[in-house]
Amino acid sequence: MQNGPPIIGVSPAIVRVSDLINHVADTGLNIVISGETGVGKEVIAQNLYQKSPRKGKPFVKVNCAALPEGLLESELYGYERGAFTGAEQKKRGKFELANGGVLFLDEIGDMPILLQSKLLHVLQSGEFAPLGSEKEFKTDTWLIAATNHNLEDEIKKQKFREDLYYRLNIIKIYIPPLRERTEDIPHLINYYSQLYTSQFNNRSILQPSSRILQKLSEYYWPGNVRELQNVLKRVLVLGSWDDIIDGFDYGYGSSNDVRQKSEQVQTQIPSSNNSIFKNGQAPDLESFSLKEIKKNALDKVEKEAISYILEKTGWNRSRASKILKISYKTLLYKISELGILPPTT
Amino acid sequence: MQKKYKILIIDDSEEILNTYKKFFTKKNYSVATASNGLDGLKILQTEPSDFDLIITDIVMPNISGVGIISIVKKKFPEILIIAITGWGEHPEMLASEAAADLVLEKPIDLMELDKRIIDLIQSKTN
Repeated sequence: MQNGPPIIGVSPAIVRVSDLINHVADTGLNIVISGETGVGKEVIAQNLYQKSPRKGKPFVKVNCAALPEGLLESELYGYERGAFTGAEQKKRGKFELANGGVLFLDEIGDMPILLQSKLLHVLQSGEFAPLGSEKEFKTDTWLIAATNHNLEDEIKKQKFREDLYYRLNIIKIYIPPLRERTEDIPHLINYYSQLYTSQFNNRSILQPSSRILQKLSEYYWPGNVRELQNVLKRVLVLGSWDDIIDGFDYGYGSSNDVRQKSEQVQTQIPSSNNSIFKNGQAPDLESFSLKEIKKNALDKVEKEAISYILEKTGWNRSRASKILKISYKTLLYKISELGILPPTT
Repeated sequence: MQKKYKILIIDDSEEILNTYKKFFTKKNYSVATASNGLDGLKILQTEPSDFDLIITDIVMPNISGVGIISIVKKKFPEILIIAITGWGEHPEMLASEAAADLVLEKPIDLMELDKRIIDLIQSKTN
Protein backbone atom coordinates (compact mmCIF):
# COMPACT_ATOMS: atom_id res chain seq x y z
CA MET A 1 0.00 0.00 0.00
CA GLN A 2 2.35 2.68 -1.21
CA ASN A 3 -0.32 5.17 -2.19
CA GLY A 4 -2.72 5.68 0.66
CA PRO A 5 -6.07 7.33 0.09
CA PRO A 6 -6.34 11.05 0.70
CA ILE A 7 -7.82 12.47 3.88
CA ILE A 8 -11.50 12.98 3.21
CA GLY A 9 -13.72 15.36 5.14
CA VAL A 10 -14.77 18.92 5.79
CA SER A 11 -15.29 18.79 9.55
CA PRO A 12 -13.16 21.24 11.55
CA ALA A 13 -11.39 18.30 13.20
CA ILE A 14 -10.35 16.76 9.89
CA VAL A 15 -9.37 20.09 8.35
CA ARG A 16 -7.22 20.65 11.42
CA VAL A 17 -5.59 17.22 11.09
CA SER A 18 -4.69 17.96 7.45
CA ASP A 19 -3.27 21.30 8.47
CA LEU A 20 -1.20 19.64 11.18
CA ILE A 21 0.11 17.04 8.72
CA ASN A 22 1.23 19.76 6.32
CA HIS A 23 3.14 21.44 9.12
CA VAL A 24 4.92 18.40 10.51
CA ALA A 25 5.45 16.02 7.58
CA ASP A 26 8.92 17.39 6.89
CA THR A 27 10.15 17.34 10.49
CA GLY A 28 10.92 13.64 10.97
CA LEU A 29 9.81 14.00 14.61
CA ASN A 30 8.22 11.02 16.34
CA ILE A 31 4.46 11.00 16.03
CA VAL A 32 1.63 9.18 17.79
CA ILE A 33 -1.66 8.91 15.94
CA SER A 34 -4.59 8.03 18.19
CA GLY A 35 -8.25 7.30 17.63
CA GLU A 36 -10.79 4.50 17.72
CA THR A 37 -10.52 1.45 15.56
CA GLY A 38 -11.30 2.14 11.89
CA VAL A 39 -10.88 5.93 11.95
CA GLY A 40 -8.01 5.78 9.47
CA LYS A 41 -4.83 6.01 11.50
CA GLU A 42 -2.83 4.28 8.79
CA VAL A 43 -4.22 6.70 6.21
CA ILE A 44 -2.80 9.53 8.28
CA ALA A 45 0.57 7.78 8.53
CA GLN A 46 0.59 7.26 4.75
CA ASN A 47 -0.22 10.91 4.17
CA LEU A 48 2.60 12.02 6.46
CA TYR A 49 4.96 9.77 4.55
CA GLN A 50 3.76 10.94 1.11
CA LYS A 51 4.30 14.56 2.08
CA SER A 52 7.69 14.00 3.66
CA PRO A 53 11.14 14.04 2.10
CA ARG A 54 11.19 10.28 2.84
CA LYS A 55 8.62 9.61 0.16
CA GLY A 56 9.91 6.89 -2.14
CA LYS A 57 11.96 5.33 0.66
CA PRO A 58 10.54 2.28 2.49
CA PHE A 59 7.29 2.50 4.45
CA VAL A 60 7.34 -0.47 6.79
CA LYS A 61 4.38 -1.42 8.95
CA VAL A 62 4.44 -3.60 12.05
CA ASN A 63 1.33 -4.46 14.03
CA CYS A 64 2.50 -4.75 17.64
CA ALA A 65 -0.70 -6.53 18.70
CA ALA A 66 -0.50 -9.24 16.07
CA LEU A 67 2.64 -11.00 17.25
CA PRO A 68 3.70 -12.62 20.52
CA GLU A 69 6.54 -10.92 22.38
CA GLY A 70 9.45 -13.02 21.12
CA LEU A 71 8.35 -12.87 17.51
CA LEU A 72 7.70 -9.15 17.68
CA GLU A 73 11.21 -8.61 18.95
CA SER A 74 12.84 -10.56 16.14
CA GLU A 75 10.47 -8.94 13.65
CA LEU A 76 11.58 -5.47 14.75
CA TYR A 77 15.28 -6.01 15.22
CA GLY A 78 16.08 -9.15 13.24
CA TYR A 79 18.53 -11.83 14.32
CA GLU A 80 21.91 -13.29 13.50
CA ARG A 81 22.37 -16.80 12.26
CA GLY A 82 22.45 -19.11 15.29
CA ALA A 83 20.96 -16.53 17.66
CA PHE A 84 18.59 -19.22 18.91
CA THR A 85 17.55 -22.75 17.99
CA GLY A 86 16.04 -22.63 14.55
CA ALA A 87 17.69 -19.39 13.52
CA GLU A 88 19.38 -20.98 10.55
CA GLN A 89 19.44 -17.87 8.45
CA LYS A 90 20.20 -14.31 9.41
CA LYS A 91 17.01 -12.24 9.34
CA ARG A 92 16.81 -8.50 8.84
CA GLY A 93 14.52 -6.66 11.19
CA LYS A 94 11.96 -4.01 10.29
CA PHE A 95 14.16 -1.29 11.78
CA GLU A 96 16.81 -2.20 9.25
CA LEU A 97 14.33 -2.51 6.39
CA ALA A 98 12.80 0.87 7.21
CA ASN A 99 16.16 2.62 7.27
CA GLY A 100 15.88 6.01 5.58
CA GLY A 101 12.11 5.70 5.48
CA VAL A 102 9.20 5.27 7.87
CA LEU A 103 8.54 2.61 10.48
CA PHE A 104 4.83 2.55 11.27
CA LEU A 105 4.18 0.82 14.59
CA ASP A 106 0.49 0.07 14.74
CA GLU A 107 -1.16 -0.76 18.09
CA ILE A 108 1.84 0.53 20.03
CA GLY A 109 -0.25 0.37 23.22
CA ASP A 110 -0.15 -3.42 22.98
CA MET A 111 3.63 -3.63 22.90
CA PRO A 112 4.89 -5.74 25.83
CA ILE A 113 6.67 -3.67 28.47
CA LEU A 114 10.05 -5.34 27.97
CA LEU A 115 10.01 -4.46 24.31
CA GLN A 116 9.03 -0.92 25.22
CA SER A 117 12.32 -0.63 27.11
CA LYS A 118 14.22 -1.86 24.11
CA LEU A 119 12.39 0.55 21.80
CA LEU A 120 13.15 3.41 24.19
CA HIS A 121 16.82 2.52 24.03
CA VAL A 122 16.76 2.54 20.23
CA LEU A 123 15.03 5.93 20.17
CA GLN A 124 17.50 7.39 22.65
CA SER A 125 20.64 6.07 21.01
CA GLY A 126 19.55 5.81 17.37
CA GLU A 127 21.09 2.35 17.38
CA PHE A 128 19.77 -1.18 17.55
CA ALA A 129 21.24 -4.66 17.84
CA PRO A 130 19.71 -7.72 16.14
CA LEU A 131 19.21 -10.68 18.46
CA GLY A 132 22.45 -12.54 18.95
CA SER A 133 24.51 -9.71 17.54
CA GLU A 134 27.30 -8.03 19.44
CA LYS A 135 27.24 -5.04 17.16
CA GLU A 136 24.83 -2.13 17.29
CA PHE A 137 23.67 -0.63 14.02
CA LYS A 138 22.78 3.00 13.37
CA THR A 139 19.22 3.52 12.28
CA ASP A 140 17.66 6.48 10.57
CA THR A 141 13.95 5.72 10.65
CA TRP A 142 11.05 8.05 11.12
CA LEU A 143 8.87 6.48 13.77
CA ILE A 144 5.14 6.91 13.46
CA ALA A 145 3.09 5.01 16.01
CA ALA A 146 -0.66 4.48 16.27
CA THR A 147 -2.94 3.35 19.06
CA ASN A 148 -6.60 3.02 19.95
CA HIS A 149 -5.71 2.91 23.63
CA ASN A 150 -5.56 5.90 25.90
CA LEU A 151 -1.84 5.77 26.61
CA GLU A 152 -2.17 8.08 29.62
CA ASP A 153 -4.44 5.48 31.22
CA GLU A 154 -2.01 2.73 30.30
CA ILE A 155 0.77 4.64 32.06
CA LYS A 156 -1.30 4.83 35.24
CA LYS A 157 -1.87 1.09 35.05
CA GLN A 158 1.89 0.70 34.51
CA LYS A 159 1.33 -0.97 31.19
CA PHE A 160 3.06 1.74 29.21
CA ARG A 161 6.37 3.37 30.02
CA GLU A 162 6.05 7.05 30.73
CA ASP A 163 9.49 7.89 29.35
CA LEU A 164 8.68 6.10 26.10
CA TYR A 165 5.37 7.94 25.97
CA TYR A 166 7.07 11.33 26.10
CA ARG A 167 9.68 10.31 23.56
CA LEU A 168 7.06 9.10 21.09
CA ASN A 169 4.53 11.86 21.66
CA ILE A 170 6.57 14.70 20.21
CA ILE A 171 3.62 15.23 17.92
CA LYS A 172 0.13 13.97 18.67
CA ILE A 173 -2.51 13.52 16.03
CA TYR A 174 -5.95 12.60 17.31
CA ILE A 175 -8.66 11.54 14.88
CA PRO A 176 -12.16 11.80 16.37
CA PRO A 177 -14.67 8.98 15.76
CA LEU A 178 -16.99 9.25 12.77
CA ARG A 179 -20.10 9.85 14.91
CA GLU A 180 -18.51 13.10 16.13
CA ARG A 181 -17.99 14.40 12.60
CA THR A 182 -21.07 13.29 10.72
CA GLU A 183 -20.69 16.15 8.23
CA ASP A 184 -17.86 14.09 6.73
CA ILE A 185 -20.15 11.15 5.92
CA PRO A 186 -21.49 12.44 2.55
CA HIS A 187 -17.93 13.26 1.43
CA LEU A 188 -16.66 9.84 2.43
CA ILE A 189 -19.58 8.22 0.59
CA ASN A 190 -18.78 10.23 -2.53
CA TYR A 191 -15.14 9.33 -2.49
CA TYR A 192 -15.56 5.63 -1.80
CA SER A 193 -18.54 5.29 -4.15
CA GLN A 194 -16.35 6.43 -7.01
CA LEU A 195 -13.48 4.25 -5.92
CA TYR A 196 -15.59 1.09 -5.58
CA THR A 197 -17.52 1.80 -8.77
CA SER A 198 -14.31 1.62 -10.74
CA GLN A 199 -13.20 -1.48 -8.82
CA PHE A 200 -16.45 -3.42 -9.18
CA ASN A 201 -17.12 -3.44 -12.94
CA ASN A 202 -18.54 0.05 -12.91
CA ARG A 203 -21.55 -0.89 -10.84
CA SER A 204 -22.55 2.33 -9.23
CA ILE A 205 -23.74 3.01 -5.74
CA LEU A 206 -27.13 4.55 -5.30
CA GLN A 207 -26.73 8.02 -3.84
CA PRO A 208 -28.37 8.03 -0.40
CA SER A 209 -31.51 10.10 0.03
CA SER A 210 -31.58 12.78 2.70
CA ARG A 211 -33.62 10.42 4.89
CA ILE A 212 -30.91 7.77 4.58
CA LEU A 213 -28.18 10.35 5.24
CA GLN A 214 -30.02 11.40 8.36
CA LYS A 215 -30.10 7.78 9.53
CA LEU A 216 -26.43 7.35 8.73
CA SER A 217 -25.53 10.36 10.83
CA GLU A 218 -27.55 9.06 13.79
CA TYR A 219 -25.76 5.74 13.78
CA TYR A 220 -23.03 5.10 16.34
CA TRP A 221 -20.41 3.79 13.85
CA PRO A 222 -18.40 1.65 16.27
CA GLY A 223 -16.18 0.60 13.37
CA ASN A 224 -15.90 4.17 12.04
CA VAL A 225 -14.77 4.79 8.45
CA ARG A 226 -13.85 1.15 7.91
CA GLU A 227 -17.41 0.20 8.82
CA LEU A 228 -18.77 2.82 6.43
CA GLN A 229 -16.59 1.33 3.68
CA ASN A 230 -18.07 -2.10 4.35
CA VAL A 231 -21.58 -0.68 4.34
CA LEU A 232 -20.89 0.92 0.95
CA LYS A 233 -19.63 -2.35 -0.47
CA ARG A 234 -22.79 -4.06 0.73
CA VAL A 235 -24.95 -1.34 -0.80
CA LEU A 236 -23.07 -1.88 -4.03
CA VAL A 237 -23.88 -5.58 -4.00
CA LEU A 238 -27.47 -5.34 -2.76
CA GLY A 239 -28.32 -2.18 -4.67
CA SER A 240 -30.32 -0.72 -1.80
CA TRP A 241 -29.65 1.26 1.33
CA ASP A 242 -32.77 0.35 3.23
CA ASP A 243 -32.03 -3.29 3.98
CA ILE A 244 -28.59 -2.44 5.27
CA ILE A 245 -29.70 0.41 7.44
CA ASP A 246 -32.46 -1.74 8.93
CA GLY A 247 -29.74 -4.25 9.66
CA PHE A 248 -27.52 -2.02 11.74
CA ASP A 249 -29.67 0.73 13.08
CA TYR A 250 -31.27 -0.93 16.05
CA GLY A 251 -29.43 -0.91 19.32
CA TYR A 252 -27.04 1.79 18.26
CA GLY A 253 -28.89 4.60 16.62
CA SER A 254 -30.08 7.44 18.78
CA SER A 255 -33.48 7.86 17.11
CA ASN A 256 -36.44 7.43 19.45
CA ASP A 257 -38.13 4.43 17.90
CA VAL A 258 -34.94 2.49 18.20
CA ARG A 259 -34.52 3.33 21.84
CA GLN A 260 -38.12 2.38 22.56
CA LYS A 261 -37.68 -0.94 20.88
CA SER A 262 -34.73 -1.74 23.03
CA GLU A 263 -36.49 -0.65 26.20
CA GLN A 264 -39.33 -2.99 25.34
CA VAL A 265 -36.92 -5.86 25.11
CA GLN A 266 -35.35 -4.96 28.40
CA THR A 267 -38.63 -4.79 30.28
CA GLN A 268 -39.97 -7.90 28.66
CA ILE A 269 -37.22 -10.24 29.58
CA PRO A 270 -37.26 -10.04 33.37
CA SER A 271 -41.06 -9.98 33.55
CA SER A 272 -41.35 -13.40 32.04
CA ASN A 273 -40.48 -16.67 33.69
CA ASN A 274 -39.66 -18.12 30.34
CA SER A 275 -37.24 -15.33 29.65
CA ILE A 276 -34.94 -17.62 27.77
CA PHE A 277 -37.54 -18.02 25.06
CA LYS A 278 -37.68 -15.47 22.36
CA ASN A 279 -40.19 -12.69 23.11
CA GLY A 280 -40.84 -14.32 26.47
CA GLN A 281 -43.28 -16.75 24.88
CA ALA A 282 -42.96 -20.51 24.86
CA PRO A 283 -42.31 -21.55 21.28
CA ASP A 284 -44.40 -24.15 19.56
CA LEU A 285 -42.73 -27.53 19.34
CA GLU A 286 -42.09 -27.17 15.61
CA SER A 287 -39.57 -24.42 16.12
CA PHE A 288 -38.27 -25.61 19.47
CA SER A 289 -34.49 -25.50 19.41
CA LEU A 290 -32.17 -26.04 22.34
CA LYS A 291 -29.47 -24.26 20.41
CA GLU A 292 -31.58 -21.15 20.11
CA ILE A 293 -32.60 -21.24 23.74
CA LYS A 294 -28.97 -21.52 24.72
CA LYS A 295 -28.07 -18.57 22.54
CA ASN A 296 -30.88 -16.44 23.95
CA ALA A 297 -29.91 -17.24 27.50
CA LEU A 298 -26.28 -16.55 26.79
CA ASP A 299 -27.08 -13.27 25.03
CA LYS A 300 -29.11 -12.14 28.01
CA VAL A 301 -26.36 -12.87 30.51
CA GLU A 302 -23.71 -11.34 28.30
CA LYS A 303 -25.76 -8.23 27.74
CA GLU A 304 -26.22 -7.76 31.46
CA ALA A 305 -22.54 -8.26 32.23
CA ILE A 306 -21.30 -6.02 29.46
CA SER A 307 -23.80 -3.27 30.27
CA TYR A 308 -22.73 -3.41 33.90
CA ILE A 309 -19.03 -3.07 33.12
CA LEU A 310 -19.65 -0.32 30.56
CA GLU A 311 -21.62 1.59 33.13
CA LYS A 312 -18.84 1.12 35.71
CA THR A 313 -16.18 2.34 33.29
CA GLY A 314 -18.24 5.28 32.10
CA TRP A 315 -18.39 3.69 28.62
CA ASN A 316 -14.65 3.56 28.33
CA ARG A 317 -14.71 0.64 25.91
CA SER A 318 -10.99 0.12 25.94
CA ARG A 319 -11.02 -0.35 29.71
CA ALA A 320 -14.20 -2.39 29.63
CA SER A 321 -12.70 -4.83 27.12
CA LYS A 322 -9.73 -5.33 29.44
CA ILE A 323 -11.94 -6.02 32.43
CA LEU A 324 -14.08 -8.42 30.43
CA LYS A 325 -10.93 -10.00 29.01
CA ILE A 326 -12.17 -9.83 25.47
CA SER A 327 -10.62 -7.91 22.61
CA TYR A 328 -11.70 -4.36 21.90
CA LYS A 329 -13.11 -5.46 18.55
CA THR A 330 -15.14 -8.24 20.12
CA LEU A 331 -16.56 -5.80 22.63
CA LEU A 332 -17.63 -3.38 19.90
CA TYR A 333 -19.22 -6.26 18.05
CA LYS A 334 -21.07 -7.44 21.16
CA ILE A 335 -22.30 -3.94 21.94
CA SER A 336 -23.73 -3.73 18.45
CA GLU A 337 -25.01 -7.31 18.33
CA LEU A 338 -26.69 -7.22 21.74
CA GLY A 339 -28.06 -3.74 21.20
CA ILE A 340 -26.47 -2.15 24.23
CA LEU A 341 -27.11 1.57 24.20
CA PRO A 342 -24.80 4.28 25.46
CA PRO A 343 -26.32 6.46 28.18
CA THR A 344 -28.32 9.44 26.95
CA THR A 345 -26.82 12.65 28.26
CA MET B 1 15.94 52.89 26.86
CA GLN B 2 15.86 49.17 26.32
CA LYS B 3 14.76 47.91 22.92
CA LYS B 4 11.27 46.41 22.84
CA TYR B 5 11.72 42.65 22.66
CA LYS B 6 9.18 40.49 20.91
CA ILE B 7 8.25 37.19 22.48
CA LEU B 8 5.88 34.33 21.68
CA ILE B 9 4.29 32.39 24.51
CA ILE B 10 2.83 28.93 23.84
CA ASP B 11 0.83 27.18 26.55
CA ASP B 12 -2.42 25.23 26.55
CA SER B 13 -3.62 26.89 29.72
CA GLU B 14 -5.64 30.03 29.04
CA GLU B 15 -4.94 31.23 32.56
CA ILE B 16 -1.17 31.01 32.22
CA LEU B 17 -1.26 32.72 28.82
CA ASN B 18 -3.26 35.64 30.24
CA THR B 19 -1.03 36.02 33.28
CA TYR B 20 2.16 35.94 31.18
CA LYS B 21 0.72 38.28 28.59
CA LYS B 22 -0.30 40.86 31.18
CA PHE B 23 3.02 40.68 32.98
CA PHE B 24 5.26 40.89 29.92
CA THR B 25 3.19 43.57 28.22
CA LYS B 26 3.63 45.69 31.35
CA LYS B 27 7.36 44.98 31.22
CA ASN B 28 7.36 46.57 27.76
CA TYR B 29 7.63 43.38 25.69
CA SER B 30 5.66 42.90 22.54
CA VAL B 31 3.74 39.68 23.27
CA ALA B 32 2.06 37.12 21.00
CA THR B 33 0.36 34.01 22.39
CA ALA B 34 -0.78 30.61 21.12
CA SER B 35 -2.65 27.88 22.95
CA ASN B 36 -0.99 24.95 21.17
CA GLY B 37 2.09 24.11 19.15
CA LEU B 38 0.46 24.21 15.73
CA ASP B 39 -0.96 27.70 16.24
CA GLY B 40 2.39 28.83 17.64
CA LEU B 41 4.19 27.48 14.58
CA LYS B 42 1.76 29.27 12.28
CA ILE B 43 2.43 32.60 13.99
CA LEU B 44 6.16 32.03 13.55
CA GLN B 45 5.73 31.26 9.88
CA THR B 46 3.77 34.41 9.16
CA GLU B 47 6.24 36.71 10.94
CA PRO B 48 9.38 34.64 11.41
CA SER B 49 12.14 37.22 11.63
CA ASP B 50 10.36 39.27 14.26
CA PHE B 51 10.64 37.16 17.36
CA ASP B 52 13.51 37.35 19.81
CA LEU B 53 12.38 34.55 22.06
CA ILE B 54 9.78 31.83 22.61
CA ILE B 55 8.50 30.57 25.93
CA THR B 56 6.86 27.20 25.51
CA ASP B 57 5.11 24.65 27.69
CA ILE B 58 6.23 21.06 27.07
CA VAL B 59 3.12 18.91 27.27
CA MET B 60 0.51 20.23 24.85
CA PRO B 61 -1.97 18.98 22.27
CA ASN B 62 -0.81 18.42 18.66
CA ILE B 63 2.79 19.70 18.53
CA SER B 64 4.46 19.36 21.94
CA GLY B 65 7.00 21.82 23.31
CA VAL B 66 9.77 19.41 22.37
CA GLY B 67 8.40 19.41 18.81
CA ILE B 68 8.34 23.22 18.76
CA ILE B 69 11.92 23.43 20.01
CA SER B 70 13.16 20.95 17.37
CA ILE B 71 11.31 22.65 14.53
CA VAL B 72 12.28 26.19 15.54
CA LYS B 73 15.94 25.32 16.07
CA LYS B 74 16.02 23.92 12.55
CA LYS B 75 13.94 26.51 10.71
CA PHE B 76 14.54 29.68 12.74
CA PRO B 77 17.82 29.02 14.57
CA GLU B 78 18.21 32.65 15.60
CA ILE B 79 15.18 32.57 17.90
CA LEU B 80 15.88 31.74 21.57
CA ILE B 81 13.66 29.26 23.41
CA ILE B 82 12.81 28.76 27.05
CA ALA B 83 11.01 25.49 27.82
CA ILE B 84 8.81 25.25 30.87
CA THR B 85 8.03 21.84 32.29
CA GLY B 86 5.26 20.96 34.69
CA TRP B 87 6.09 19.77 38.14
CA GLY B 88 6.50 16.02 38.21
CA GLU B 89 6.73 15.63 34.43
CA HIS B 90 9.83 14.04 33.06
CA PRO B 91 10.43 15.36 29.59
CA GLU B 92 13.08 17.90 30.67
CA MET B 93 15.74 15.68 29.17
CA LEU B 94 13.94 15.76 25.85
CA ALA B 95 13.73 19.55 25.98
CA SER B 96 17.48 19.79 26.58
CA GLU B 97 18.21 17.23 23.88
CA ALA B 98 16.16 19.29 21.47
CA ALA B 99 18.47 22.18 22.42
CA ALA B 100 16.21 24.53 24.33
CA ASP B 101 18.30 27.49 25.49
CA LEU B 102 16.89 27.17 28.97
CA VAL B 103 14.65 24.65 30.75
CA LEU B 104 12.70 25.82 33.80
CA GLU B 105 10.42 23.90 36.09
CA LYS B 106 7.06 25.16 37.31
CA PRO B 107 6.16 27.07 39.42
CA ILE B 108 7.68 30.02 37.60
CA ASP B 109 8.68 33.26 39.28
CA LEU B 110 7.85 35.84 36.62
CA MET B 111 10.36 38.44 37.84
CA GLU B 112 13.05 35.79 37.65
CA LEU B 113 11.84 34.70 34.21
CA ASP B 114 12.05 38.30 33.01
CA LYS B 115 15.66 38.50 34.20
CA ARG B 116 16.59 35.23 32.51
CA ILE B 117 15.02 36.39 29.24
CA ILE B 118 17.04 39.60 29.20
CA ASP B 119 20.21 37.69 30.13
CA LEU B 120 19.64 35.24 27.27
CA ILE B 121 18.93 37.90 24.67
CA GLN B 122 21.84 40.07 25.74
CA SER B 123 24.36 37.25 25.94
CA LYS B 124 23.32 36.29 22.43
CA THR B 125 23.71 39.80 20.99
CA ASN B 126 27.06 40.37 22.71
